[in-house]
Amino acid sequence: MVSLEQLKEEVKKILSSGNIKYFIGYESLGSGWQVRPAFMRKPEEVDRLVWTPACFHNLVRFLHDEKRRRAREKNPDTRPVGLLVKGCDSRAINVLVQEKYIERKDVYLIGVSCELLGVIDEVKLKRHLPGLKPQKVLFGQKETIKVITDDDKEIEIEASEILADRCLECPANFPVVADIILGEKIKKNVTSPYQSISPYERMSVEERWSFWQGQFSRCLRCYACRSVCPMCYCDECVADSIAYAVTADTTADEKAQKIKWVERNPEPSENIFYHLVRAIHLAGRCVDCGECERVCPVEIPLRLLNKKLEKEARELFGYEVGFDASQPPLIACFRDNDPQDFIR
Amino acid sequence: MEKIIQKSAFPQWLKSLQAFKIFLPKRASYGWELSSNHELQEIPEDYTYPVVPPKKLIFPQEEIFFEFEQNPEDGIKLKEILPEAEQQVIFGVRPCDGRAVKAMDLVFGGTYEDPYYWRRRRQTVLVGLACSQPPSENCFCLSVEGSPSSEEGLDILLTDLGDRYFVKAITEQGKSLLSAASSLFSEPGTRDREAREKIHLEAEKKIKRHLPSARELPERIKAIFDSDFWDEESLNCLRCGICTYLCPTCHCFDINDETKSLAPLKGRRVRTWDTCQFPDFTMHSSGHNPRPDRASRLRQRLSHKFLYFILLFDRFQCVGCGRCVTLCPVGIDIIEVLTRARNHGA
Amino acid sequence: MAEEFEPRIVAFLCKWCSSAGADLAGVSRMEYPPNIIPIQVMCSGSVSPLYIFSALSHGADGVLVSGCHPGDCHYIKGNYYARRRLALVKKLLEYIGLEPQRFQMSWVSATEGIKFTQIVKDLVRELQPLGPQNKLRRKF
Repeated sequence: MVSLEQLKEEVKKILSSGNIKYFIGYESLGSGWQVRPAFMRKPEEVDRLVWTPACFHNLVRFLHDEKRRRAREKNPDTRPVGLLVKGCDSRAINVLVQEKYIERKDVYLIGVSCELLGVIDEVKLKRHLPGLKPQKVLFGQKETIKVITDDDKEIEIEASEILADRCLECPANFPVVADIILGEKIKKNVTSPYQSISPYERMSVEERWSFWQGQFSRCLRCYACRSVCPMCYCDECVADSIAYAVTADTTADEKAQKIKWVERNPEPSENIFYHLVRAIHLAGRCVDCGECERVCPVEIPLRLLNKKLEKEARELFGYEVGFDASQPPLIACFRDNDPQDFIR
Repeated sequence: MEKIIQKSAFPQWLKSLQAFKIFLPKRASYGWELSSNHELQEIPEDYTYPVVPPKKLIFPQEEIFFEFEQNPEDGIKLKEILPEAEQQVIFGVRPCDGRAVKAMDLVFGGTYEDPYYWRRRRQTVLVGLACSQPPSENCFCLSVEGSPSSEEGLDILLTDLGDRYFVKAITEQGKSLLSAASSLFSEPGTRDREAREKIHLEAEKKIKRHLPSARELPERIKAIFDSDFWDEESLNCLRCGICTYLCPTCHCFDINDETKSLAPLKGRRVRTWDTCQFPDFTMHSSGHNPRPDRASRLRQRLSHKFLYFILLFDRFQCVGCGRCVTLCPVGIDIIEVLTRARNHGA
Repeated sequence: MAEEFEPRIVAFLCKWCSSAGADLAGVSRMEYPPNIIPIQVMCSGSVSPLYIFSALSHGADGVLVSGCHPGDCHYIKGNYYARRRLALVKKLLEYIGLEPQRFQMSWVSATEGIKFTQIVKDLVRELQPLGPQNKLRRKF
């Protein structure tokens, strides 16, 4: 079990040393079991820290804001940013380092092992407690999650029934890169890492289309999926930019000739185009932190798209995402014997 | 006009409204949605409120203004596309969403009426359903001058009395909805009225979240306009569009020309939802952006709801539905933020 | 006589090999179906997935990307990158339910005029029974 006290001690230590700018961890929402990202600058603030199965957020995402902040400031504070990382989050760090978006020295990572558990899925939680309101969600002993309801009942739920799908397929349940790691580094035994996508792979072409079309017709194009993704750091998204890099020097010609690949309206064809572009741009970069799916207000199962490409990357090209920061990006390298049976 | 209708007679009432497109709450995988599926015949017991508010049916996410086409003889011709003439009835509108429609009426009405909005609005009948308990953990309608039984913006307000609905027809349009099936409606008795009163009062007590002294907020927000309070509060913000797209009163839009072909020129002009939380929302073509950071955008959203709307219309734009609080992926809670804003530097 | 559906195929042909091969077919007066819309690109490696999605969005019934044989790329490695990237695009499009025949790749060298005509004939034959592509097509 990860000791919260030890975690707080480590964060207090690094904050007191003055070697990091601030630390990003998790804190409880006002009431209830949910948590949210918390920015801590002073050692006294570490009491806000929590570590529960509700810590789903990928805090690596906040490095985008840090980088943009530094770009704006005249004399930026170049101390590293402290981050709490789970296994999946640490792989995201490796991808960002691999792409030279950040340098390893820009972050101070306090890793926590999920041991044999992980984070829960809120939808599964609701299903397990019809009518009851969870007040606290805690790591249980032996592969269970303990839920305390608001009428003080304690319920132990088997991890396999309530953990997020991505945790059931997790290739790295403890950080692969960190300055210190808390908790036991026991490798989780995952027998079917692509269990969640196999039903869709087995469907016929028309069944698949019917499924995905139904999903994308709900899309509101709120772009929460893109906004929360640690790998979507482009200032100007090629699919549909909400942040054009326009300066006083941009000529009228440049503005007029910008290619609009996707229209802003939420027609199904445009929604699908946006999601396809995002999925292909994440091929070989997505670490399956599951955030895109979690934040979607209309619950489109987005990680199924990225997981499929992750599987193809591994099976076709022997490529694993986020374990080695020195490997080249997936589409910037090739092997002589890459499959070409689909090419006439 | 006050009536009673047995829940068992509800499907027959729906049948009498065949001339309308009827929207009823439907269970979706992610929550509730308003659907015109013909198989829906009732409002389920455990209905809360739709994730995407009724504004989508009056102010759709895609509104075509006109089509343009160029031909060699006549040059460029415009063809105006007004919304289809289709009457619609929306059942299950919670009082907060009803007040939200009223707020949008103020924005799109006044001296200059938006023809697209009003064409749909005048074709829409809103049948509200009073809350017997808060639909959400984060409801705070009482704090923004709403209530679980508010009639504002609604044509009819239903109150669930168990096996029957208490039907209060508020507007002429509401009354006309009852006339098509008048045999299904009976006069309410004292017991009915008492039950209704009790439910309305009890519902108010069940609301857990409050934003006390909200009328003090406009001055307080104005006072801390330049403060770095907003920088701290917006640290978590991802600048997605969830809070604004799912807010029942947010109505900012973008207008784009979608060109189908350049020669001959052919295309259409479309209005879509937009959000002040996207960085480009206030980007000028010179490259200057008056709201370049998340702090200024968070400040804008809260100021619009709790200061500017008060100055314009003397009412809160926020109706206390709690959707933004529940759905924000990073836990930015406007009730907490505003409470801190009120106390900041006070 | 019933009008047979004629698929419209957008073909991204690399300038140095495939486009030259298509030109050879033309210059040699070889007949092949007129269903393709050839777009010359400098290298198959320069074909972005966006072009393919865009072609489908604009109503293409099929998309072909054709480049130099591995080892013969004018820019040395471009076609290797294309092979990898477009394999992923193909898998993704199939996964969301687009018929696999609608996106194809080929290696056609500058001398393979006959091969090019054969590829186009095969493509048209495979796409005819599928009908118009309405899944990703923009409806406005």
